[in-house]
Amino acid sequence: MVETAAVVVLAFYAIGYFVLGGGDIGVGMLLPFLAGDAGERRLVVAAIVPFFLSNEVWLVAAAGVLIGLFPSLDGDLLGGLFPLIVAILAGWILRDAGVWFRGRLGGDERAARTWRATCDAAVTAGSWVVAAGWSWVLAGWLSGKADGVLTEPQVVAAIVALLTLFALHGVAFCGLRLDGPVRERCARWFGGAAERRTFVLTSTVLAAVVVVAGSALPFAETVGDGRTLDVLLPAVVAVTPVLLAAQVWVWRVFGRRVSDPRHDPRGRIAMTP
Amino acid sequence: MTPETVELARLQFALTAGAHFVFVALTLGLATLVACLQLRATFSRRPVHAQMVRFWGQLYVINYAMGILTGLVMELQFGLAWSGLTHFAGNVFGSALAMETLVAFFIESTFLALWIFGWGRLNRWVHLAVIWVVTLTAYASAYWILVANGFMQNPVGAELDGDTLVLTDVAAVLSNDSTIGAFWHILAGALVTAGILVAGVSAYHLRRGTPHTELFGRSLRIGVYTALPALFVVVVSGGIQLSGLDDIQPMKVAAFSHDTARIGALELELAERLGPGEYAPPGLARAAALVMLMVFVLLFLLLGLNALLASSRWLIVRARAWHLLLMAMVPLPYVAMIAGWVFREMGRQPWVVYEMLTVSDAVSDIPDSAMRASLVTFTALFGVLIAVTGWLMVRHARSDPATVALGSTAPTAFAPADGTGAGRDERPDPSAAVLTFVGR
Repeated sequence: MVETAAVVVLAFYAIGYFVLGGGDIGVGMLLPFLAGDAGERRLVVAAIVPFFLSNEVWLVAAAGVLIGLFPSLDGDLLGGLFPLIVAILAGWILRDAGVWFRGRLGGDERAARTWRATCDAAVTAGSWVVAAGWSWVLAGWLSGKADGVLTEPQVVAAIVALLTLFALHGVAFCGLRLDGPVRERCARWFGGAAERRTFVLTSTVLAAVVVVAGSALPFAETVGDGRTLDVLLPAVVAVTPVLLAAQVWVWRVFGRRVSDPRHDPRGRIAMTP
Repeated sequence: MTPETVELARLQFALTAGAHFVFVALTLGLATLVACLQLRATFSRRPVHAQMVRFWGQLYVINYAMGILTGLVMELQFGLAWSGLTHFAGNVFGSALAMETLVAFFIESTFLALWIFGWGRLNRWVHLAVIWVVTLTAYASAYWILVANGFMQNPVGAELDGDTLVLTDVAAVLSNDSTIGAFWHILAGALVTAGILVAGVSAYHLRRGTPHTELFGRSLRIGVYTALPALFVVVVSGGIQLSGLDDIQPMKVAAFSHDTARIGALELELAERLGPGEYAPPGLARAAALVMLMVFVLLFLLLGLNALLASSRWLIVRARAWHLLLMAMVPLPYVAMIAGWVFREMGRQPWVVYEMLTVSDAVSDIPDSAMRASLVTFTALFGVLIAVTGWLMVRHARSDPATVALGSTAPTAFAPADGTGAGRDERPDPSAAVLTFVGR
């Protein structure tokens, strides 16, 4: 019973990460394809910017819940998947640095433009590495091997399928976030289907993959000691609504679509110093 | 797995944790100062106060990224490289990390996004509350990490059951002497670091004669008068820790005082109790402690002098030689922080969980080549990013406060109370702050 609750809590944070963080990873992957010029690249990065911090903390939380509730699984999984986890972390660092530092150099001279192009490249490359790393991990779990790096043909096929899923999820997320030509371009990927419905669909598929893949993990053998769970689990369950409320607040404050200031009749935003 | 794996894993963890500690020290201290400045600005509605929040806030934001990125890697490194530790002590240690991620990291990052992009969008009192939540959760983060670290230094509230530790007394784990003392010590050290940085950067501008004399004059005074009392807290909390250390880690005390007879006696006693082995910490522990103490004495003298000089408004603006001294002081707290950390961590070697689990028993069963590849990857990435962050911080520190991007999209956020602020009812474009952050 306690163990089931622990698995549910872990699944909640993991799904939260893949659905929310997966969206901005997908956008990062497709940055060069979704944006036609420098102005649009700025918009596509802006689509993820208010959320990337609040999205990635879901993975931080999932990792915390994993080490807290399933301490030996944490060591076995991360140790067994060592190269993939290192790659995911490296990709994550790269894309975060790209997002974080992109706007720190103002101006429009050549050096500043190169700086922003370099940051965009870091976001795209990092996003591909993160997505590929997770696809590989999930593909391994789907094949029933929790803590090893597999290279069978069916695993490779699953990796390609999952990468496609990340990309589609990114397009769906981008379509919800932006306005104007980029939004239309995103809509075309899904044949003009309603954006909310597309995002719900890609989210559901991602969540289902996480649940099915995660069910291969040996939770029963690795769950923490009962005395730890008795204290930690109620604490985690108690703070979760607070964390969720903070997230909902962020979505509400920044949920409006970002529109291209070049098409904005007020034209007030393009005045970055 | 070979002895080299252990050394590679140790080096990797030391570099990650060291980089993390350097940036987080400033994050903790500067967040406090920015939160206090914003409190003042929200009440006073004076433009100079608002400008101080934005200038120092932007420096805080640039610095923040490295803390988060190294912190992330460190959190996963426990599982990656130290699975022996998660197997042995995960029942206690893991809970502290879990609480840190949920009640601290998660909230801190979510609210930081609200603060950065909520400028002018949130009600100004709500925006003020947001930065205070960011600051307090940063403290909470430090506390929970020190619960984990304090448990490794002084494993209380748990007992051995088979080959793993189980939690027996939550209150003992949460109120561990090794945690509480270090918490206040680090918090105060972070304030010294931030105070001296703020004073040093302000001195740079005053020395150059920038037009923002009021902004930097006030900042210089705030920096100096934060750092001095904080240094007292550092020495008191450090002294309390040191006086209790003999009960917890007598070997660390013996190494610190270079008492070879005592070290020998303790080694014999440990060998008798736990079997043969190397139980004395390396000489680096004592060297680090001495560096820490010397820098402390230097800071103490210099800050005393600074506090006297900063009482004169004339000197604050005109004393160019003193400005140079303040600028030169900026690295000192960093040296002391790192040295103190090296003393704490090297001084407990060879243990990862004190007198229970050695570092070499904690390392994961990972091939040398994989460990080396990850060490090279992270060192290269962090090396480049630290250089970029440092360059951006220096660049921002030297820039004109009138050009700060952070908060620039909220012209009405701190409009004068007399109602002269034009267009007060005009809401800024919701995506303006985001687009400013992204750049052109």
